[in-house]
Amino acid sequence: MSDSATNSGHPGPGATAPPTTKPAQLWWKSTWFDIVQFVALGGLLVWLTGRGMAAMDYRWQWYRLPRAFYRVIDGELIWGPLIDGLLVTLEIAAWGMVLTLVIGLVTAVLRLSDSIAGRILAKVYLETIRNTPLLVQVSIFYFVLQPILGINNPLWTGILCLAFFEGSFASEIIRAGINSVSRGQWEASATVGLNRLQAYRYVVLPQAVPLMLPPLTGILVNLIKHSAILSFVAVFELTTEARNLIADTFLSFEVWFVVGGMYLVMTISLSSLVALLERRIRARG
Amino acid sequence: MTDHGQENAQRFADAGRPAIIRIEAVNKWFDDFHVLKDIDLTVGAGEKVVVCGPSGSGKSTLIRCINRLESHEQGLIEVDGIELTDDNKRISEIRSEVGMVFQQFNLFPHLTVLENCTLGPIRARGLSKTDARALAMEFLEKVRIPEQADKYPSQLSGGQQQRVAIARSLCMRPKIMLFDEPTSALDPEMINEVLDVMTELAESGMTMLCVTHEMGFARRVADTMVFMDHGEIVEMASPETFFSTPKSDRCKDFLEKILHH
Amino acid sequence: MVRGSKKPRFGILDVIVLAAAIAAVAYVTYRVDSVLVYTWDWSAIPGYLFRYDEDLGHWVPNLLIKGLITTIRISIWALIVASIMGTILGVMRTSQRLLPRLIGWAYVEFIRNIPPVPFLFLFYFFISSQIIPLLNIGSALDQASPATLGVVEFLFGPANLIENFLSGLISLSMMSAAYIAEIVRAGILAVPKGQYEAGSSIGLSKLAIMRYIVLPQAIQRVVPPIAGQFITLIKDSSLVALISIQELSFLAMEIAISEQRFFEVWLFTGLMYFTICYACALAFGRLEKRMGRHLR
Repeated sequence: MSDSATNSGHPGPGATAPPTTKPAQLWWKSTWFDIVQFVALGGLLVWLTGRGMAAMDYRWQWYRLPRAFYRVIDGELIWGPLIDGLLVTLEIAAWGMVLTLVIGLVTAVLRLSDSIAGRILAKVYLETIRNTPLLVQVSIFYFVLQPILGINNPLWTGILCLAFFEGSFASEIIRAGINSVSRGQWEASATVGLNRLQAYRYVVLPQAVPLMLPPLTGILVNLIKHSAILSFVAVFELTTEARNLIADTFLSFEVWFVVGGMYLVMTISLSSLVALLERRIRARG
Repeated sequence: MTDHGQENAQRFADAGRPAIIRIEAVNKWFDDFHVLKDIDLTVGAGEKVVVCGPSGSGKSTLIRCINRLESHEQGLIEVDGIELTDDNKRISEIRSEVGMVFQQFNLFPHLTVLENCTLGPIRARGLSKTDARALAMEFLEKVRIPEQADKYPSQLSGGQQQRVAIARSLCMRPKIMLFDEPTSALDPEMINEVLDVMTELAESGMTMLCVTHEMGFARRVADTMVFMDHGEIVEMASPETFFSTPKSDRCKDFLEKILHH
Repeated sequence: MVRGSKKPRFGILDVIVLAAAIAAVAYVTYRVDSVLVYTWDWSAIPGYLFRYDEDLGHWVPNLLIKGLITTIRISIWALIVASIMGTILGVMRTSQRLLPRLIGWAYVEFIRNIPPVPFLFLFYFFISSQIIPLLNIGSALDQASPATLGVVEFLFGPANLIENFLSGLISLSMMSAAYIAEIVRAGILAVPKGQYEAGSSIGLSKLAIMRYIVLPQAIQRVVPPIAGQFITLIKDSSLVALISIQELSFLAMEIAISEQRFFEVWLFTGLMYFTICYACALAFGRLEKRMGRHLR
């Protein structure tokens, strides 16, 4: 047993150990090479689509598309149908989100309550929404509930229907968020003398709300996505405007590509926000 | 060879055992974190080595390199005369010679205790089902839980699960057993049942490398103590020397923390 | 679980909820009976479920049941196709190489972010004008023997609608595949790293680890949510009504218009969907409890 054992941990200037650096990575195993291949594949896909369209003798007429966004008549700017549709879609999403939160919150409270009737009502609502297609819900709202309740604006029927649909998801998110706060937190609140309401206000909600935020933002993405289904009942949102425009101009692919792109810009930017929020929360532990 | 390597070789020559594991100037990085720095360690057949050190010192990584659950980036690791490289065939040869027991047991939850033990012999060794079953029962008896053979891991206590994990490794008839903190995930009252099995295994002459903080077990069983810190082997000695006269300050600190509380 | 686990009892909230429910029912009844002066007539519905065929001399399914069969048929096929696509994509998303991960990620994110309705219109147009003609199904079926035709009709529905059915099926499968990919990815990732390590430490090859350790566990985790995806498919398949696939929603729409009975037809259609989906949900719930008992 030599004394050098204790020294090997502190290699001084005269240490015999060879310089140890991490060996370099092979280029074809590198991240960049994979990214280059991925971009190339994407290019190939676009090229193939282009070939397919060419084979179909499709005449691209992109120059006609700006008119779908705006026109200038007598020096006055008039928004085109796609912009009108986009605004309606955004309006549906915004009001839909407010109503979704209200419905979701009420349902979550009923489910978490100890009221028998409340729990049954919430359960019936959730099972009905979960086990029928959105299209059928839209039809029932539009063809049945609208005349019965005397709503005279299909836009509001649509918003109400989407809110009831998304509300079922929102209630689950809120409930799960509150339940994720451990039982010990309630018990600890009680031991420091907080009542139930104070425990919610100062202990449970501050922990639960950050957890709920990303999935609730996800609901906003879904509202934008699902609002397209309202084109089925003549609500003049983006998809309806797109379909009408195609019927008028036969610019099928131009319009669908552009409209798909508009939707993707909205949803992907919101989805990225969700991802960002989630990462923040995970980083905080 | 580093200074440390010479000392290592010296110790080894004194004991007069044939080498079964040779680790020379091994380096490893996790991204930019240098986890293993110029490690030299030789283990003889039948030798019991206990590796200890603070968390993050690289001790688990070291023994995981021996059956290539981690790959080293520089240096040489030789197990029973076979060098560890990217060659997959050699890796599986070595893995069937080296048993490993994990901190978290890692039993297969979808298989019964018996199936856990027979999976390797049947699928890797090509044993018949009856032979594998007989083999498994033999080792389950050695770890004293033959009556649990048809249960699922989730129905057993932590101590029982770890004993099954030991039996599962032994069913491969390994020449070397690696233990990666085998008692750290156990409730205190279950630690001894696992240590007892390990002690018996040591007495049977198995070559063992254990990462553990159970210093009582180390004193009883170890031929050699290895202390690691910051990815280096700081101290290597017989248990008597190691516990009575640790040389480095880092080792003294560590022993103080772990022994006196 | 803190509040929800308390014993239910009758309280003030019950009074409020009941009062609200009674008020809602009363208001709807008042509107229907006194303002709209609507007379309910359900008599047309049974005739659309089954009708008596004079030529054959027995009862045959009529539009609503035919539509339901198409809905179930397209959902089963879409589940099969999407499971295959989704498994490949899901395995790609857990690959150690970046390239397959990127491809899987791009596909899943695209589908998850594009609204289904514009997607259906675009792809239906593309698939039905580009891909389906390549398959040359029409002429193949013309030459088929009656026996083959019978099998094909059982699997894919009426021969004259097969191209239309396939277009809807492909679009629907492409959407569902993205969700199944996520389920498969989660299933694989849920198998802890220690399982792979334990497998290799007893000398199993990579393939054997997959075959005997990872997949059995992943499958137990993945089957219940994929079964749930079947319910989602039954619901989402109603969207293909928009591209004129003649499934339940499409036919309901036609009947409602021709009979001018919107209330009855849509409520009944909703009930049909509910019955199927709820029954599946109950059955799959049992399945889920039975599977994965040992995965802690």
